[in-house]
Parts: sequence; structure tokens; C-alpha cells
Amino acid sequence: MRLNEGVQSIPAVFKKSTGTLKKFQSFTGLVLILFLAVILSPRQHGTGRILFLTPENLSDIFRQVSENGIIAIGMTFIILTSGIDLSVGSLLALAATLCAKILTQMNPSIGQPLHIFLAIFLPLMLTTGFGALYGLLISKLNIQPFIITLAGMIGLRGFARFLTNNANIDIGFGDDISAVFANLISPKPVVITTFVVIAVIMSIILGRTVFGLRVKSIGDNSIGSRYAGIPVTKTLLFTYALSGLLTGVAGVLHAAQNHQGSPNDGVSYELDAIAAVVIGGTKMTGGKGSIVGTIIGVFIMGILTNTFRLKGVDINIEMMAKAVIIIVAVWLQQPRKARSKG
Amino acid sequence: MKKGLTVFLILCLCFMALPVFGEGQKEVSTEKSGYLVIFSQCNNAEPYRAAQNDSFKALWSQYDDVVFEIQDAQQDNSRQISQIETAIVKNPDLLIVAPNERGPLSAVMGKAKKAGIPVICLERDIVDAENYTTWIMSDNYSIGKLAGEYMVEMLKVKNGAPEGKIVDLRGLLGVEGEQKRFNGAWDVMNTYSGITQEAEAVCNWLQSDARVRMTEILRAHPDIDIVYGHNDPMAVGGYLAARDLGREKDILFVGVDGLQGEAGGIKKVVDGVLAATFTYPLCTDKAVEIGNKIMRDPDFTPEKVYEVQSEMITPSNAVEKFNG
Repeated sequence: MRLNEGVQSIPAVFKKSTGTLKKFQSFTGLVLILFLAVILSPRQHGTGRILFLTPENLSDIFRQVSENGIIAIGMTFIILTSGIDLSVGSLLALAATLCAKILTQMNPSIGQPLHIFLAIFLPLMLTTGFGALYGLLISKLNIQPFIITLAGMIGLRGFARFLTNNANIDIGFGDDISAVFANLISPKPVVITTFVVIAVIMSIILGRTVFGLRVKSIGDNSIGSRYAGIPVTKTLLFTYALSGLLTGVAGVLHAAQNHQGSPNDGVSYELDAIAAVVIGGTKMTGGKGSIVGTIIGVFIMGILTNTFRLKGVDINIEMMAKAVIIIVAVWLQQPRKARSKG
Repeated sequence: MKKGLTVFLILCLCFMALPVFGEGQKEVSTEKSGYLVIFSQCNNAEPYRAAQNDSFKALWSQYDDVVFEIQDAQQDNSRQISQIETAIVKNPDLLIVAPNERGPLSAVMGKAKKAGIPVICLERDIVDAENYTTWIMSDNYSIGKLAGEYMVEMLKVKNGAPEGKIVDLRGLLGVEGEQKRFNGAWDVMNTYSGITQEAEAVCNWLQSDARVRMTEILRAHPDIDIVYGHNDPMAVGGYLAARDLGREKDILFVGVDGLQGEAGGIKKVVDGVLAATFTYPLCTDKAVEIGNKIMRDPDFTPEKVYEVQSEMITPSNAVEKFNG
């Protein structure tokens, strides 16, 4: 019965190879999903090409996962500290509505470029500020992140609706400043480049800086980290502020791409982000994980969604399949011992 | 002790700040100097309902002797029931209810009516007609039919015959209005064998969801004649996706709701984004008209049902409607 007894006798080489396989397990998952997508994909009308593999569709996927990807990167840092941020969906709605509001309802005589800059900069400041506030409350008041950000999720949704009086703020189709903004920010290359640049920078920050190391060590052992002289409060503050900033970026992209700031958007985005992070191999208990893993997680979800939708599969089936994928992905990443116990 | 004091001070500050944010929810004086009208709204947080609230506020503010109050049930049946029970205690001269769902709200509305309060049921009907004084509504099925007839005409113009491919962008499934907008249109279009549904996607009434879903539909379906968004934001989301792919000129986008204002569907017809939209009337004009008669004229007996007709908005009348 005890499978782990057998593990002892496995030759060292095999052990090593399973170790490598385990390290890239989420990557293996991605390859499997890609394989599935190619098989299930309908053919392109007229040319007979595999629709999934057409450059247009692949770049569609890239663009569609960008918002979730950017949010999930911030979420990775937070989960690595063994925290969570439930408020990202509300925060995204807040950033998008504030951005649209500044563009359409404020008329500062500062010229178009500066006005657009403000419409991007101020929402980012606001979301970063809320993130920093979470970090401060969590570490100073010693309240669980779940509770602080749950309050944020409820309160900020209310704030976004209060700002807009429940209505959508529309970014027009004419040639006014808001349309200029949308045309500037919404093209596919802009969205994808933003995602890629953020992913690279954040991957370096997590993997190669003292800050990244501190984030992981807090998640690994918070009390030990304090004894070791790691500035826990400051690190948590920066971590949540960073996630706030990234969510703000996703919010501005969201407003531009959808030509509107809707206070009702972003509902359950936090769950998509968390799902991507855990599929990518980051442990919910913190300490272990990577940005590359999260990005793989984001693409696994994105490709799966795309595959189902190209086939026109019922949305309810899509949701059920996603649930299975999440559980299987996380189960695969369990250490062998824990898995066999289950 | 110190912590307790801090909490106390924070709570004090919160309550002191309340009046600053409390605009529009002023305390209603209990003295009967004029008329009290209470509107029980099922969910403020929807653009259509926000427009309905704004319209009501503007209309009632024209009457100096009317105090108008809105209660938001936040899409929750139990909350709406308890709010209506509180309203009964307040004994208003008129109670207007936009019920969240037909079943659960029926009894409590009947309770209000039995307490002698005239009850206007807005839009959605409730189970038992005995439970309201009058029902002011607009029929989503007729709106769907209008949209269907329009789409048939447009296909005749576009393809020379009533044939073509339609994409439905749908709201939350299971919502009665959603079903009716769908059935109304397809009951008309199904009578022509050349008109087929190419694809449909559930987009939860959201522009952002519709944009994403439509991108995939466009990739998988090269020939689409008309996109029928069951509300305007979804039709606009479909347009945004098509514009990204450079296909917006080949497809007609049709929406429903036709709200006023910059974010509304009428402006989208003016901008050339939508080919047409069909108004889902706010029903507020009629409610204020009938409500006033009920309150002020003791001899007036309202009809059991008033239907407010939808209007078709196309480029030929959009500018006039937008400015008017």
C-alpha cells in the first residue's frame, strides 16, 4: 500500500528525471492542452487550415489572456506571501470607470497628451494606494488578507458604482479625446506588449531581487522571517501595492478595449487569477512558485476557453470542464507522498 | 481599552460622514404635508435601472408636493420583501414596485394593496393580478418580434431575399426578458427557411464579455449578416470585435434597450455603430401619469394593464431622438 516505500528503491537517474518532469509539470499540462486544442479545432472555412493554429487566433488568445495574465502576476506575489487578494475584480472595475470618467467627464485645459496621461496615471495611483492600504492593514492590524480584501471587494465595487451612479461610462466612437485614448491603447500589439513587458520585469523582480526573495521567505515562514530581520510590513505593503498597480494597468487596458468604464465588470476575475496561479504550480500556502508557472496557468485556461468557444460548446460545460482542469492540475503538482495518501 | 476607543471614534466618523454621501436618500418626514411615493427598485446596479431611477427622480421633482423615495433591493427577493414591508409601515400614498422576480414578490405586494396603498407593478408581472392596482409594462416578446421583422427586411435589402446568417449575443439565460427577446425575434425569422442562426453566445449582458465571445465567433464563422445583441452593450461589444478584424462593414449590429445619454443605444445608432435599436421603455412617464391620477383623483379607476410600446430607432430618427 505504501507507495513511498517503493520510491526509495527507484534508481537515482529516474528520480532525477521525475524531478525535472515535476518541475515542468504545468508546462506538460500546457502541451497536453495545446494537443487537445489542435485535435478539437474546427477547420478554417475556405482554406481548410486548423483554425486554432492560425496566427490570428493565436494572437486573439494572447490578447484575451492579457488582462487576466497581468492580474495573475500580481496575485502570484501575494499568494507567495501566503496571502490572497479577493478585490482585484472590483479594483479593475474601479480603475476602468475612473479612467473613463477622467476622459469623458473632466475637462482640464492641459492639452490632450497630458489629459490622457492623467486618465492612465490617476487610476493607477488609486489602485496602488488601495493595494498599499491592504498591505498596511494586513501587517499592522494583523487581520487575515482574506478578510481585508473581502472587505475591499465589497467596498470598492460599491465605490465604483457610486462614482458612476450605477451607469456605464461610455468611451465614444467619434474623434474626441476618449476615442483617441481607446484607439491608442486597445490595438492588439499594445495590449500584448504590455503583458509581455510586465511578465518579463516581474519575473526578474521575483527571481533575481532581494524583494523577490523576501516575498517567498515571508510565505515560507512569516515568524522566522521577522526574526531574521526581514522587513515584513514593508514587504507586504509593497507586494499588495504592486498587485494593485498591476490590476490598475489591467483596468486601463480593459476600459480602452471595451470602449467603456463599467462598474459591473470584473466580477469573479479574482477567481480566474487565482486559478491561473495555482494551475501554474504556486502553492496557496505560499513560499513556492514562479511567474513562468503563472503565465503557463493563464495560457492553459485561455487556450481551453478558446477551444471550447471555437467549437461552440455550451458555456455550462465549459465551466464544468474548467473545474476539472483546476483540480487535476493541482493534484498533479502534489508531492508523490501526499498524492498517494489521497 | 485603547482599541475600543479607536473603534468607537471610527464608527462615530462613519456615521458623521453618512449625510455627505446620503444625497437622494433623505429622511422622509412623517408629517402628511403632501404625497409620499415609494419606489421599490429590484436592482440599482444596472444601467437600465439607473436610467429608470434618474427618470423617476426628474419626473417626480416637478411636483413640489411629492416626496419621492427609492429603495434598492440589490437583486435580492428577501431584501425587497422586507423593504416593501417597511414601506407598508410608512404608509405611502403610492407604492411602485419593479419586482425582482414574479413569484416571491406577489404576496407582499398584495399585503400592501390590502393595507390600502395603491400599488403600481412596473414591467415584470406578478403571479396574481389581484395583488396590484395596475400593471405598467412593456412586452419583451413584442420587442423581439419588432427586431425580428426589422432583421428580415434588412436581409432582403442586403441579400436580395429573406435569407442570411444571424448571431445571437444573449444575456443571462433563464431571465424571462432574455427568453422573450430571443423567442420574439426567432418566431418571426423562423418562418423564413433561408434565415439561420450561425452561432450564439451567452455574454451576461456585458459589453466586455460580448467583445471576447464575438472575436471567436468571427474567426469560426466567415459569413455573418446580422449580430442581434439582446441588449445594446452586447451589440456594441460585437461591433468592437468585428472592427478589430476589419469586418464591421460587412455585418449589421442590432441592439435592444435604446437608452438615452452618451452610453445609451440611441447614441450608438447616431454614431453608426448600431444599425438599429429597439427601446425597452422605462415606463416611468406612464407610471408618473397614472400614479398622479390615482393619488389626486378619487374618482379615477386605472385600467388593469397599460402597455408602453417600444420604438424602433434607426439612423433616420436617431439624431432627433437623441436630442429630444
